[in-house]
Formats: sequence, C-alpha cells, structure tokens
Amino acid sequence: MRIRAEYRIGPELRFLSNLETMHMMERALRRARIPFALSEGFNPHIRLSMGTVLPVGLWGEKEYFDLELDGKMDLEELCQDLNRVLPEGAHIIQARELAVTTPSLMKAVNCAAYGFILQMMQQDIATICQNILKADELLIPSRGKKKGVDKDLRKGIYKIDTQLTEAGVCLMFWVGTGEPLNIRYDELTDLLQQQGVPTQAIVDVFREGNYIRINGGLYSPLER
Amino acid sequence: MKDRLFRDILPRVSKPIRYTGNELNIIKKDWDSSRVKMVFAFPDVYEVGMSHIGGRILYGVINETTDHLLERSFAPWPDMEKLMREEGIPLYALESYRPLTDFEVVGFSLQYELSVTNILNMLDLAGIPIFSRERTDDDPLILAGGPVAFNPEPFSDFFDLFMIGDGEEALPELLDEVERVRDLPRQEKLLRLARVEGIYVPSLYEVSYNSDGTLAAMEPLYPEVPRRVRKAIVADLDKAFYPDNPILPYMTVVHDRAVLEVMRGCQRGCRFCHAGMVYRPVREKSVATLQRQARAQLENTGYEEVSLASLSTLDYTGVNQLVKGLVAEHGSKGVGVALPSLRVDAFSIDLANEVQKVRKTTLTLAPEAGTQRLRDVINKNVTQEQLYDAVEAAFKSGWLAVKLYFMIGLPTETEEDLDGILQLLEEVKGIGNRYARRPVEIRASMACFVPKAHTPFQWQPQDSIEKLQEKISYMTRYRRRGIKLSFHDSRVSYLEGIIARGDRRLGQMIYQAWKNGAVFDGWSEYFRFEHWQKAMEESGLDPQFYVSRVRSFDELLPWDFVDSGVTKDYLRKENEKAMEGVPTLDCRREDCTGCGVCPSFEVEIDLRGGDESAH
Repeated sequence: MRIRAEYRIGPELRFLSNLETMHMMERALRRARIPFALSEGFNPHIRLSMGTVLPVGLWGEKEYFDLELDGKMDLEELCQDLNRVLPEGAHIIQARELAVTTPSLMKAVNCAAYGFILQMMQQDIATICQNILKADELLIPSRGKKKGVDKDLRKGIYKIDTQLTEAGVCLMFWVGTGEPLNIRYDELTDLLQQQGVPTQAIVDVFREGNYIRINGGLYSPLER
Repeated sequence: MKDRLFRDILPRVSKPIRYTGNELNIIKKDWDSSRVKMVFAFPDVYEVGMSHIGGRILYGVINETTDHLLERSFAPWPDMEKLMREEGIPLYALESYRPLTDFEVVGFSLQYELSVTNILNMLDLAGIPIFSRERTDDDPLILAGGPVAFNPEPFSDFFDLFMIGDGEEALPELLDEVERVRDLPRQEKLLRLARVEGIYVPSLYEVSYNSDGTLAAMEPLYPEVPRRVRKAIVADLDKAFYPDNPILPYMTVVHDRAVLEVMRGCQRGCRFCHAGMVYRPVREKSVATLQRQARAQLENTGYEEVSLASLSTLDYTGVNQLVKGLVAEHGSKGVGVALPSLRVDAFSIDLANEVQKVRKTTLTLAPEAGTQRLRDVINKNVTQEQLYDAVEAAFKSGWLAVKLYFMIGLPTETEEDLDGILQLLEEVKGIGNRYARRPVEIRASMACFVPKAHTPFQWQPQDSIEKLQEKISYMTRYRRRGIKLSFHDSRVSYLEGIIARGDRRLGQMIYQAWKNGAVFDGWSEYFRFEHWQKAMEESGLDPQFYVSRVRSFDELLPWDFVDSGVTKDYLRKENEKAMEGVPTLDCRREDCTGCGVCPSFEVEIDLRGGDESAH
C-alpha cells in the first residue's frame, strides 16, 4: 500500500536539515511500529521518500512524504500512532492512499508558498506588492547552482497575498519550484530587501505549503 | 534566552541544530525541586559529545535514579563561539538554557589530552574563573572525570576536583555529599569531598621536586586527605544502571545508533594500552540483560542499528549468542548489528555472517605492529596466520573494504617492523584479490605511539617528531593501488605525549597555549602547533623532559598516587618482559598474572556468557 502524508514541522524544529527530518520520520515509524516496507539488498531501508525539501531555518505548515507499507493499514490509525511518538513540533495532519500510477512528489510538486512576517506599515507592504507585480523583470543574484548570475524571478512569482497576523503582516508568495524556474526563499528575501524592506523587519519566514500547479490552478499533493 | 537564540543567533551559524536541545527523550527536571544541579560538559562539539556512552550513562543515572539534576553542554563551534562572545551570550545548558554559572557542579569529560584547551575556553565562555585558586564560594565546583583523569596532575590548576574511575555509582555519591557540605566554605567543602571514594582534590596536596626536575614528594596537606586515591569501581556491571531511554539527537552524530556496553575492562594485556590497564578487571553483562537493554533502546529511539561496544567485543564470552539473538529478534525489521574494531584472532566466519545478513560494515582490524617480534613486545597476541584467516573469511563472505590499525614509534621498533606493515598490507590485498568479487580497498591508519601513564611503557621514551617524520616518509615511498596509508600528525602525538605523562608544572603552558589561540586541537583544521611552541617558550617548559627521557624504575611518577588497582611492580615486570619479547597471556584463560586489581579492590573477573563462548 502506497500512502502520502501531510505533516507540519513547527518553528522549534526549523533548524533540521532534510536528512535529519528524514531520520526523525524513519525513527518515528520504527517506534510506532508502522508496518513499513523495506527495500531489498544488504542495506535495507524504509521505502520512504521525503518529497519536499524544507530549507534549514524555515518551519513548514504543510510538507509531504510518500511511504510504502507492507500490507494495509487504517490511515487514521497510522496518523495517530505516529503522532503519539513524534517529538514536539512534528505532527502528521492527514494521509491518503496513492494509486500505483501517481507520480512521485518530487516530480509532481512545482509550486510552494512562502510566508514572510513583516513588522512594517501595511501601506508600505501594499506598495511593495504592487511594485513586484507591476515589474516586467525582477533581477536578483541567483542563490542556487548558478551563483552570482542574475536571475529573473518575475515569471516564477505566481501570486502575492497579504494577511494581518498577531506577529505582523504576513506577506505570502506563491512561487515556482523545480522545473522550469526554481525560486528559493532566500532569493525572495533578497528581493524584499531590494524593494526596501529592512532585514530586521523580517521577523519570521515559513513555508505555508507545497502545491501542484496545473493550468494556473493550485492543487494540494493530496488531491492529485 | 531561548527566543533570542532561535531568532537572532542560530540562523547565523553553521549546523544550528547543535545548539537547540529539545531532542526526543530529553529529561527536563524541575529546577527548584532538584537537589544538586550539575551540568555535564563535553569539551567537543555536540555530535562528538552525544556519541559518548559515559555521558549517556551519567545523564540517565542522575536524572532517572536520583533527585539531583544533570544537564548537558558542549563546546560551541568557532563560528558560534564568536557570535556568543559578540552578543554576550554565556555558555548555557541545553535543557534549561541556563548559563553554567547557575549550576553547583560543572563536570567535564576528559576523554582526550588536548581537549583541555576547549575546557578552558568553555570555562571562559561561561564566565567561570579558569584557575581553581581564583574561584570563590559563589562559583560552581569544577570537576573532571574520564580516562585522562587517571593522570590528573597536568590539569590540576584548572579543576577543583577529579573523579577517577567508574562514574555511575561514584557520581550520585559525590552529589549527595556536595549537598551535605553545601554551606561550608570552599576549602572545607573540598576537604570533605576529598574523602569520597574516587575523588581527588589537587589543592590539598603539596608537591616538591628534585634538582633534576623529577618529583621528590607529593604530600597531603591534612591528615584526613588520602595519600593515595583509589579509583571508583562498579563491581557488578550487569546490575549497574544503563540507559534504556537515551536521548535521540536530531543531528546525525558520530555514532548514531543504539549502543550496548557488553563489558567493561579488557585483560588481553596489550602493553601500550591505557584503557586495558586502568579499567580492570573484566566485568561482563549477561546476554539476557543485553537483550533486554537492546529491546528497550530500540523501542524508545527507533534506531536502525545497534552497536556492541567494549574494549574488545569479540572477547565477550556471550558474543555469539548475543549477536545471533539480536539478528533473529530485530533483523527482519531492518535493524542491523554493528561490531566495532574486531580482534583478529577471535574473529569467526560464523559471526561475521550473522552481522552481514542485515547490514554490511567495513571490517576493522587492529594488528598494531607489522612483525611477530614487535607484536610480542607489545603483547598483542595475534599471529600472521590468524590475521590472514580472518581477512580471507571476510572477503569470502562479501566484505570489500578492510581497515587496519597500526602504530609506529613503538619501543624497540626498527625498519624491519615498518617493512612488516607494508608486507602485511600487500598480503591482505592479495587475499582480497583472490577471494573478493571486486577489487578490494585496504586502508591502513598509522598512529604514532604515545607512552601512557599506568601502562608497562610508562617509563619508555617517545619518538621525537623528527624521528616519526622519518618513519612516515620511509613508509610513504611505497604506493600501491587499492592500499591507502594515513598517518596521525606527529606533532599532535608529541603534545599528547607531554600531557599524558606530565605533572602539575604543565598548567601554565596549557593556559598560555589557550591564550595564544589553541582550541579544538583534536581537529586538524584548527590545530596550530605554533600556539603550543610559543606557550612552551613563554612558560619555560622543557618538553624533552616529559617526552624523550628514559625514566628510571625508582622514579616517583606524578600519577603514582592514583591507585588503579594494577601495581607498579606488575607494570615493571611487564616492561621487562616486553624488552625480552616475552608475551603474557590473558588471565581469563591462563593463570592469574598478578596485576593486583582483584585482591586490592576485592573484585573478581566477572564472565557471564557461559558455554556459548566465542572461543
């Protein structure tokens, strides 16, 4: 049985690397005695694939992994069992069974939403949003593989939204990930700074979710 | 403090997860209702410190079985240290985020001689006076334990007290006493603590020297202070505390697995080996206890591997039964069993295959020397045939990599012994080519021999840096595909040698080295020999006195007052037998060799494996 789970990584676990998050999940799966499937060979490992890589330093509202089970299991029970043993800050929200043909997370997910909590005047933030959406080109030195080369972020920014929260104004970006254009959260930080947001005004950054974008529509990886 | 760390500090450092705490199975005891508050300080980074079994044991024994409290602190990596200094953040404990100065006792683990600079750095970062004599009633008691504490003298300027020997029973006792003497002035407090078994308080002794620089006398200042300090010892390891709920780090630590301590002590009697002398006698755990401990640890951590630790795991009498049992019980869940450094002679094909059924590891063997003659000198009772048989069995069962440990600079070593190492590697490679499916990889790691206190070689001179360099270049002329040689830094070994057999006069040099910038000296990227050279000049210390001198058997040695149970007479006899190339056999299988530990500590060798022995 192949399943996909949606989970949360809270702020207290924001410094875990992807590998560390994976180890945390594997060990939780063992402690909870989930009937996971093992790979063949001399180095058997749990058939777990962490489809979305949360950058170190960010916490995540909705992250996903795929897991292969040895047999069937009630998925509500699986979530409960895992949540009983997961450390504070990590929480399985829901899980669903996958068809054999469902493409992997790595292939399917092509959009992420990053939230920046800003301590600034709402008016100023609105102006920044307008400027970003109005621009034909947003050149930022790439932080990824092509370090130093300017990268145009504009085509990768699909949507911007603001919301008032307790901690400040939350400015949310829906951006492309993977192919064809990968926008990193630190490039968005650079963009905000370029647009006049002082570093100390950014009080928190998190990833709200990961999405599958088809023809302009955004779907949760649990839907597709 | 926590908010500030998470928001302002940690996003700016490498591997911030080292500093966050909050791991699974962490124990956060209520501060106010805990009796004595102690912090276990490990003078290296988190991922090294969290791999240390002794720390796991002490953490559990204090927090789970007493009303005292034990938190953890590690050396921050230099980028974090810099930030902490800039931002005025004192060294803190990972459980409560409280600064070390809030604790009544700060206990450092002394696993390695050169970690002392990190200790000074940690004290400084905590705002605690570096020198014991500068501390007042308001400062914590600074304690050290661990193998290096068996010669505590070089560190005596910095510590108020040392705990020598096994800690799991001694530390609760010490903390009880700390509570009882809490309101006394510092000096009186120390006087009382000096009476606890295994505790040494350096400030309560007066030391004098002869004109040639050797030790003349070491006298207690008060009649109630013991002349000799006996190590603390756990008589029944099977019943001793062992943690079923170890902390599960988020970070990938060096030894990231469940660990069983199958036994303590080793009586093979290798003459260079410090641990083999000071942790006598052998005390084993029963297979049933170990199986229960493995089950508990795996259930509580979810680890995918369990490692069988000890000084010589293949000598554990129940090793066959234990390994088979563990594989049978946990193997189907993808849990592997790891055997660290294996003895060459005790290796059985059967056992190797048991381990390999689930997870394959690199085979690690330690012949230590390249010729039979030299192996007899050091009492490493392994023959060439045994080694080749072991390697052949391993390659036949599918291993493709073998790691071999050797030492250079051993007493009586000649060029022939160095050639012997190379020939041996060549032969192992040849066996690999004959029996393995693919080309095999042979790695040989060459350590520079450092004579240690409390061993039969404690009187022997150590090779100079120049001599070791010559030997290294002699060996590196040799190159062959599939054989990799690596050498320890001879300058590091030289410094280890000074401290390993040093005395109280080293304090100033160590302090100067730290002042000059020495820190993380065990890490090659931070090791700077210049800091130490300069420190030697500044403190007027003659390193040759400690390293290259042949000590006479009559000399009073700075660590003679530490009673490890093994007599000086025995060490001397072993030294003489070494020079004649006469081996001494393991007292578990032959007659008692008269080392002295059993009668003087009223303990016995404790073997639990029954008939299912590896032999």
